[in-house]
Amino acid sequence: MKSIRKIALATLLASVFATAQAQSDVSEASALSALPIAVSVAAPVVVLSAGATLTVVSVQASALGTVWVLQRASDGARATLTLSGQAARALSVGAGTVVVVTAMSTGWVLSTASEAIAFIPNEIGAALLYNERVTR
Amino acid sequence: MNLACSATVAAVLALAAATAHAGRSCENKPPKADAIQRSMLLAEHTAQRLDQSGAQVVALARIGQNLSEYGVRYSHFGLAYREPDGRWRVVHKLNQCGTSHAAVYRQGLGEFFLDDLYEYEAAVVIPRPDLQARLLPIVRDNARLAQLNTPAYSMVAYPWARTYQQSNQWALETFAMAQEPAAVSRERAQAWLQLQGYTPTTLHIGPLKRMGGRLTAANIAFDDHPNEKRFTDRIDTVTVDSVFAWLNRTGMGGPVQTIR
Repeated sequence: MKSIRKIALATLLASVFATAQAQSDVSEASALSALPIAVSVAAPVVVLSAGATLTVVSVQASALGTVWVLQRASDGARATLTLSGQAARALSVGAGTVVVVTAMSTGWVLSTASEAIAFIPNEIGAALLYNERVTR
Repeated sequence: MNLACSATVAAVLALAAATAHAGRSCENKPPKADAIQRSMLLAEHTAQRLDQSGAQVVALARIGQNLSEYGVRYSHFGLAYREPDGRWRVVHKLNQCGTSHAAVYRQGLGEFFLDDLYEYEAAVVIPRPDLQARLLPIVRDNARLAQLNTPAYSMVAYPWARTYQQSNQWALETFAMAQEPAAVSRERAQAWLQLQGYTPTTLHIGPLKRMGGRLTAANIAFDDHPNEKRFTDRIDTVTVDSVFAWLNRTGMGGPVQTIR
């Protein structure tokens, strides 16, 4: 198994951007409408190459969250992505949804035609991500 | 198996309470890949600049919306600090989906900028080393970060009242608490800020706009402002620009450094 590379990735669904802020008057704060969602991913690395087009094969609920199985059309390589909780459920992603991979210096973004649906950080990106609520 | 590079991906859970939104009208706008890319790039550049600065704690601002109408450039700031492992974290206060409630968070630079930015520019002011040294134990201590937090939120909260507290006000008062041992309450922190010559920004907001704000948004209130100011259309509030100017004027902080 010499060719097996292990990559630890933290995956974050950068789902929804803030919002509902009435843009009236002055404001200094932003709404935290979208919560970073932690997930796990098991995928051949080649699947996460820039410009790759993947098709959602299945979407299932699991104890950890929502599990997507994605398949690359060209060779059938598959990736399994687990998105936790609510933000994933809010996405309108189902079997047949086509997803494109965008590579960047901090990781990969998965997008449908209209919106980004997941961010998979690499090591640089993972160091930039953290979320802890300090007060109620 | 020569093709099978198996990527085992560990999950990092950073989930805060999505439950807070239950039942709220929190309109979610789908993000674009481009916005994520630009936000994460700004986060990466900011981390690099902060590493180079040698600072341990800084005031870090973003441009979440266009406030040029009020002569204000940056909309929001928090206190960013370096963890022992070299990663930067930001403690800041966030209003939840336009509600009248806000909470303090500790986030990565990624999350700090993964917000619907109006402009992809960050600003940093580096406090004097002795002030940084007093801030560092505070920003790492959740109990101290909570000490001066008032959950009731108004985005134009009056700087010298305790009814509400907006995000920049929390950061400023927490800064004061770190510098003055006697500033153990909001009232005392505000007294110290007045003594040190902090002056808020005066926004000129007419009655119609005031009315509109109160009637249409849960996170805007004017009832904590003194009548004589409110009825002459002068709304004082803590802005990033006023804090940065004060830090610079008093020698407590260096000049504003921008990062793109």
